[in-house]
Amino acid sequence: MTVPDVLSPSTLTEALDLLRRHAGRARLIAGGTDLIPRLRLGENRPAVLINLSRVSIPGLRREGDWIIVGAGMTHSALARAPEIRKHFPALACSCQSIGGRPVRNRGTIGGNLANASPAADTAPALLIYDAELRLLRSEGERCIPISELFTGPGATVLREDEMIVEVCLPLPRPRSGASFIKLGRRQSMAIAVVSVAARLTLDAADCAAEVRLAMGSAAPVPFRAATAEGLLLGAPLEEERIRAAAAAAREAAAPISDLRATASYRSRMVEVLARRALYLAWEAARV
Amino acid sequence: MPLLVSSGAGDSPPERPMPELEVVGHPAAAVRAHEIVTGRALYTRDLGIPGTLVGRLLYTPIPCGRIRRLDVRAARRLPGVTAILTAADISGENSYLYSIPDQPLLAFDFVRFQGEALAAVAAENEEAAARALEAIEVEVEPLPGVHDVLEAMRPGAMQVWPDRPNVHSRLVIERGKVDRGFARADVVIENQYLTPWVEHAFLETEAALAMLDNTGTVVVYSPGQSPHRDRRQIARALGLPEVRVRVITPAIGGAFGGKDEAHVQIHAALLAQATSRPVLIERSREESIRTHVKRHPVQVRYRTGALRDGRLTAIHVEAIGDTGPYLGAGAEIMACLAATVFGPYRVPAARIEACTVLTNNPVCGAMRGFGIPQGQFACELQMDDLARRLGIDPLEVRLRNGLETGDEIPTGVRMRQAGGMKGCLIEAARMAGWDRRREIERAPAPHLRRGWGMASILFTVGMGRNVPDFAGASLDMALDGTVSLRTGASDMGQGAHTALAQLAAEALGVPLESVRVVVPDTDQAPNAGPAAASRTTFVSGNAVLRAAEPIRHTLLQIASEKTGLPLNVLGLRGGRLIAEGETLSLNVAELAREAALQSRGLHADGFYAMEYPEPHPPDAYPYAYSVFTFATQVARVLVDVETGQIKVEEIVAVQDAGQVVNPAAALGQVEGGCAMGIGYALLEELIVHEGRTLNNSLEGYLVPTVRDVPPIRARLLEYPEPFAPYGAKGIGESSLTPTAPAIANAVADAIGVPIRRLPITPERVLEALERGEDGRVR
Amino acid sequence: MSEMRIRVTLNGAPMELRAEAGKSLLRILREDLGMTSVKEGCGQGDCGACVVVLDGEAVNSCLVLAAQADGAEIITVEGLALQGVLHPLQRAFSEMWAFQCGFCAPGMLMSAYALLLHTPSPTRDEIEEAIEGNLCRCTSYRAVIEAIDAAAGEQRRGGLAAGAPDA
Repeated sequence: MTVPDVLSPSTLTEALDLLRRHAGRARLIAGGTDLIPRLRLGENRPAVLINLSRVSIPGLRREGDWIIVGAGMTHSALARAPEIRKHFPALACSCQSIGGRPVRNRGTIGGNLANASPAADTAPALLIYDAELRLLRSEGERCIPISELFTGPGATVLREDEMIVEVCLPLPRPRSGASFIKLGRRQSMAIAVVSVAARLTLDAADCAAEVRLAMGSAAPVPFRAATAEGLLLGAPLEEERIRAAAAAAREAAAPISDLRATASYRSRMVEVLARRALYLAWEAARV
Repeated sequence: MPLLVSSGAGDSPPERPMPELEVVGHPAAAVRAHEIVTGRALYTRDLGIPGTLVGRLLYTPIPCGRIRRLDVRAARRLPGVTAILTAADISGENSYLYSIPDQPLLAFDFVRFQGEALAAVAAENEEAAARALEAIEVEVEPLPGVHDVLEAMRPGAMQVWPDRPNVHSRLVIERGKVDRGFARADVVIENQYLTPWVEHAFLETEAALAMLDNTGTVVVYSPGQSPHRDRRQIARALGLPEVRVRVITPAIGGAFGGKDEAHVQIHAALLAQATSRPVLIERSREESIRTHVKRHPVQVRYRTGALRDGRLTAIHVEAIGDTGPYLGAGAEIMACLAATVFGPYRVPAARIEACTVLTNNPVCGAMRGFGIPQGQFACELQMDDLARRLGIDPLEVRLRNGLETGDEIPTGVRMRQAGGMKGCLIEAARMAGWDRRREIERAPAPHLRRGWGMASILFTVGMGRNVPDFAGASLDMALDGTVSLRTGASDMGQGAHTALAQLAAEALGVPLESVRVVVPDTDQAPNAGPAAASRTTFVSGNAVLRAAEPIRHTLLQIASEKTGLPLNVLGLRGGRLIAEGETLSLNVAELAREAALQSRGLHADGFYAMEYPEPHPPDAYPYAYSVFTFATQVARVLVDVETGQIKVEEIVAVQDAGQVVNPAAALGQVEGGCAMGIGYALLEELIVHEGRTLNNSLEGYLVPTVRDVPPIRARLLEYPEPFAPYGAKGIGESSLTPTAPAIANAVADAIGVPIRRLPITPERVLEALERGEDGRVR
Repeated sequence: MSEMRIRVTLNGAPMELRAEAGKSLLRILREDLGMTSVKEGCGQGDCGACVVVLDGEAVNSCLVLAAQADGAEIITVEGLALQGVLHPLQRAFSEMWAFQCGFCAPGMLMSAYALLLHTPSPTRDEIEEAIEGNLCRCTSYRAVIEAIDAAAGEQRRGGLAAGAPDA
């Protein structure tokens, strides 16, 4: 592979400064689990790599009703963090589903998002948990909801000199349950064929006060199936409605055919997984 | 009475082997275990010779075309580039492949498949080599290629070669009167089966380190399955006498047939010759998948006739194998399929046709099973189809047709030892609880279906009659009684060296630790033929025994002279002399020293060639096999009928091994075969489009991870094989063969619809469910 | 291309070398530091043959750049045995045929070592999780799981610290 120059800043400020100075010809590298394979195959040829391994971004902390996750947290750290397992089980589950242990020990949530694969494993869970991302550049910062991050396969709204520093997760309300299901061609080290995350919050009458249903590998970007959510919102949960929501999710999906699966199979699986994920979320909410 | 060796949850510990065997039948650690676990095992890339140049090959940009331009002059002038070779620079023959050498080492006029090499580069470092490859000016004018094997067979189809027909060979094996057999059948079933291109995915990709030694001999270190055969091909390409080439086999990181053909050895040798420097060529994983031989994709049309009670009356099988543009061993592989496709059954009449077809698809060659897995897949699905059609239990239909010792098979051979057929079948069924399987919940949830399937297969050992099949081995005892064993046989993980060492130790009566297997080296070891065809234990094992005999005899003679005891009461055990079973104080070292004092040698070479003493009918298939192994596997699967996903819950594998040399190694081979079989059944398929493989990485080509392999309950049965060393024969390939058909039969049982194509993907499951058994779309 | 000075602790011993910042740790270990136990199987994190323990965690060394390895504590198979005495994992792998061709063994051993560092009494599921990123083409993984389990047991009985060489 054509190996670019590697710069290793020691602080976040330095990193942002380098990113600004090399904007357009640099890529950030944290775990490198997506980037290095792409460099190796010549799919990316940045002139400069900005190595974040010396930059310490605070890992995980609680701020009032929010859990703030540093973008540099690895998938394995997230998967075993007690606060994530307790409050955001669908996120813990999706982090655990990535690669094998050695990949999970290096890959970061920030990297997973910035890489912006339509199959990004953390995205559906972040969507259902209403995550917000804090983006930083030398000139300042902004916060965007996760739903605004992806613009297309491999593309985000990130400016050339901007990086994700934190993923902010609002604590779910009581009586909220979530699930994550990933379909792969084998049981481990598999890129998602389709993945679905669902979250339901029940009100006093056991109706759905909140509904979130998100899919991965089913469209150019991970997305929430808004129509499907609308069919369940404010109503008591029952089989007919869940089936209708799953069918609506299928309608909303726009999958492609590739080496792993055909578009029509993916469509069908969106419906099957949506139904199953909603049931699982419902069960978890009732506990 | 067969002896049992087993593993797996809940099974009893291994039973003691035959009381008179000290070393054979015992689970010794691998001879190289210590090196491997300490990280000191040296694979080709680890050898680290100072001054080694980096070798790389330039491969064609497109699968099919005419080379218009290949200009290396600019690339040659780049700094750090030591040599670039094209076809014109090859001093000897520009061709290789061990059976029919029709593949060019470096192409010069046409490129015929995606893995065609055009030039070989040697440079000071990787960056210089990469720049050289980019600087070579290549223009290949695209030409239409032959990519559909059935299309390729049509009269008037475009030909891959101007002077050779696409249908290279059509082998026919016929015995009995097939028409009469079908006429008297109560039921005739015909189905079409399809298997894909499969990748070996050995963990260590191909590599070769070549250099000239101080005598000008070309020395090549490479993971290969036959150093002597590689030596011959290297010599041929370099225009050298064979003795001026030396091939050494370091540790091999898996092969499974994929390193049976020469891969980069010859190119590395050419570069070493051209530069007079050591050159290391390593293939990247992508290059490896793209260029080395694949398992043949085969289409099988199988027609079976049977009586109402399930007994077979006739079969008619047509198999078509797509071998790519270069024949190599393609015809042999299809012949092997043809010579076994009738399965482990009594088939009164058979007509078998096997076609080897040339195309511009990936070049195919040996892969664990050598054509037999493809044929047995079809055979075993036919048997289940028969069972379904007649309403007979799949176990019963196999028992009714199972071969027994003395039976004749369609190649004209009488079974020397077929006890393993029914033995494995009955034991596998018993272990799997076959009779009680319907007591287990078949639909544990609305979307889940459980199914059981079995497969009982016939496998061969050796190369077949009238095909060279021999091995030499060399034993030498030192003055302290330790022994060096020189063999040309490769240990690629199957445990060959450990097994041979055990056989030597047993025959000589010395402890296993005192036998050292010398790294295979054509300068030191006699030709053992290829580590293939599950033949190493049998053929090299017998060679080892033949080398041991004269040494043992000399030692005992000396012992007799020293003790005054007659020869016939003396023996050797654990390195000591025994008399009538009692250990004496004389040990082997003392006997060895005495031998030296008396100028009596303790060195011997053994030679063995596969023997076929039985008369062979003149009208029968001339290359028939006479040594067989049997294996039966039972799979239990759980199918999610909404997603099509299949979970293999358990595999029971029972294997006939003759005499198990090393129980731990043998069980590992059976289990490993099952794991690879799961991949073949469910995951593995090289996707080829217009001659290009689209999934050239381990991310795109999926092999089973630990999470994909369920508990495997394996058991070895021992029906001693005539002529085999202590009755032992190889199982490396037969262990893989039953798995895919067992799983396929289990899936059919689960969903009520057979899927006759591998791999059985979730999409194919859903499609089958929609199609239904009678072919109608629902 | 920027060359830099890299300092690592390798198998307990401090090492210093110069290498290009973008060179992979896999190549540095093999070529600059002589640790040929570390194998390349795919170059992109799909097979686990190159796994080493870095700062206490199993990582694919093909995915770590020199600049990222600077300052790290690295353990490879060469560092498992203590003064010639095999680590329980090495002993168990050897005795129990937890490998056949041996090419995946170093990566497996290091994944297992990392597991036992943090989880001295792993369940079967935890063992599988630790090695699900290590491909083996020869075995069915059963012997690997049993060897890791046996080694864990031996370590607990022996009261050995989880293997860190000469701290």
